[in-house]
Amino acid sequence: MLRVVLLLLSALLTLPVLADAPEGYPFQSFDKAMQQARSENKTLFVYFGRYGCGYCDKTNKEAFSDKGIHETYARNYVLAYVDSESGKRLRLPNGERITEREVGTRYNAFVTPVFTFMSPDGQPLLRLVGVQRIEDLREADTKVQQMLAGAGKK
Amino acid sequence: MMPCRKWLGGVVLMAVALNAAAQPWEFGKAIDVTAKSGEGIFHHLESAGRRNIAVSAGTVAVAWEDNRDGTPRIYLARKDRNADGFPAEVKVSGTDEAFEPSLVALENNRFALAWEEDGRIHVRLATPIGLGPVVMLGEVNASQASLAIHGHHLLLVYSQVESRYGRIRLQHLEVDGLALRPVQGCPVDSEMAQDDQLYPTVVSLGGRVLVAWEDRRPGHTIIMAARHTDDAACRFSAPQRISERPPGPSMPYGKGHGVARVALDRYASGRALAAWADKRNFREGYDIYAADYLGEGARLFGPNVKVQDTFGGFAQQWHVTVAGHPDGMLVVAWDDNRDGDANILLSWREDDGWSDDLVVPGAAGPGEQNHPTIHLDQEGNLHLAWIERATLDGPTRLRYLFGKAN
Repeated sequence: MLRVVLLLLSALLTLPVLADAPEGYPFQSFDKAMQQARSENKTLFVYFGRYGCGYCDKTNKEAFSDKGIHETYARNYVLAYVDSESGKRLRLPNGERITEREVGTRYNAFVTPVFTFMSPDGQPLLRLVGVQRIEDLREADTKVQQMLAGAGKK
Repeated sequence: MMPCRKWLGGVVLMAVALNAAAQPWEFGKAIDVTAKSGEGIFHHLESAGRRNIAVSAGTVAVAWEDNRDGTPRIYLARKDRNADGFPAEVKVSGTDEAFEPSLVALENNRFALAWEEDGRIHVRLATPIGLGPVVMLGEVNASQASLAIHGHHLLLVYSQVESRYGRIRLQHLEVDGLALRPVQGCPVDSEMAQDDQLYPTVVSLGGRVLVAWEDRRPGHTIIMAARHTDDAACRFSAPQRISERPPGPSMPYGKGHGVARVALDRYASGRALAAWADKRNFREGYDIYAADYLGEGARLFGPNVKVQDTFGGFAQQWHVTVAGHPDGMLVVAWDDNRDGDANILLSWREDDGWSDDLVVPGAAGPGEQNHPTIHLDQEGNLHLAWIERATLDGPTRLRYLFGKAN
């Protein structure tokens, strides 16, 4: 029995860690998220990651796994995930065709992860660079909500 | 933060000015490659290997994609080297959406272009007497074409999705007048892809073919290369990793650091350089790294060397490209924002390593200058094209600059 448990544990530990968007969140492509944010006049939360990104993996496991963070971010924001090394093509509302990598370049995702809160037209409001803890994400949400309330947008 | 960056920018520009006398090229005035620009028009120079400019005899050619009629299409502009401007361009692609053209020069003012259209690779010749017929290659879901010359015929590499992952394929093409004829082709890695193989580029080295690409097999992106071992059978050596794993302990999370978009060119006899964007120093973001092809030994490439100078550590580098010359000259170009704006920079190989970075006069200043593509002609003159825009999301212009060899 112990051997079976150890084998299962070993299999779990060796699963590929690809550091995509955290599971269970309604992340979508940047262009679709921007369209939705515009039509609903909601703030964007853009996760800039990359394939194999270690600190994305850490943030996913240690912060995005929190139920409260999940509930808050899924409710307050339109969520977009950008693989900053991907050639996947997107089309922005102004008609520009752009790759995910170029979206990362434009928003200076020089490390990963970078998390950027944006207005529906893509203007950055707040930027978080590197690994984030639960309390960092909570604090960032509070700041952004205060900014929006101050600007009369809530 | 910004004043400090501007101050650093001033120091950089001063260093550049001090270095200007030693630079290998005297730059002229930048010109537009195409008059088609304005609201809603976006030009792209983003082929695998960044081969969008070439020179044949006295003709300079630039290939790009733009959406002037609402659909992304491929265009080619050509001018006499001594002419002041580019005459009207020709549309090269067909009726479907087309992307990422790669351009290479043949003899006698002729060029070959390859691009992705409707999910397949298309290739054709452009000559002074007209465009040749289009040849379609690969199955659906082929993309990221890159061309090179191999004796009197063409080499084409591209990424073909097979079952789940992109796999790099090489195709030989014979040139017969205006026509191209596919002859021999094979996957570069004989093993089925375990993860995506992307953005390949290729050079011919005196009968040998060398291919480099992005590979995600270790769970993160690395740069790999393989060399032709048997021309008759289209066989390659086992792929080798070029981008090194940084020294020190592995991180407890993730699979490894990021790299992106390898460029490759030959220089001198039987030599080649690969350069790419590399994020091994995660605090600095992407830096420009390069490695030399070592020749006939078992190991394909030598140690990784950082190309940019120390001021580059204050900025992020993007869109690296490389050009070589048979006399040994080697130059790398990229864009970075070390002085606050995105500008085009160059560094060239010197006896003791890489030169200080040069902010290219005419391809720098307010706004955005990025996505460079470069070529060294027979006389060692530098030809540069890039994308320029006043604001991050505004319309683009396609620009060209000639650097006369000193």
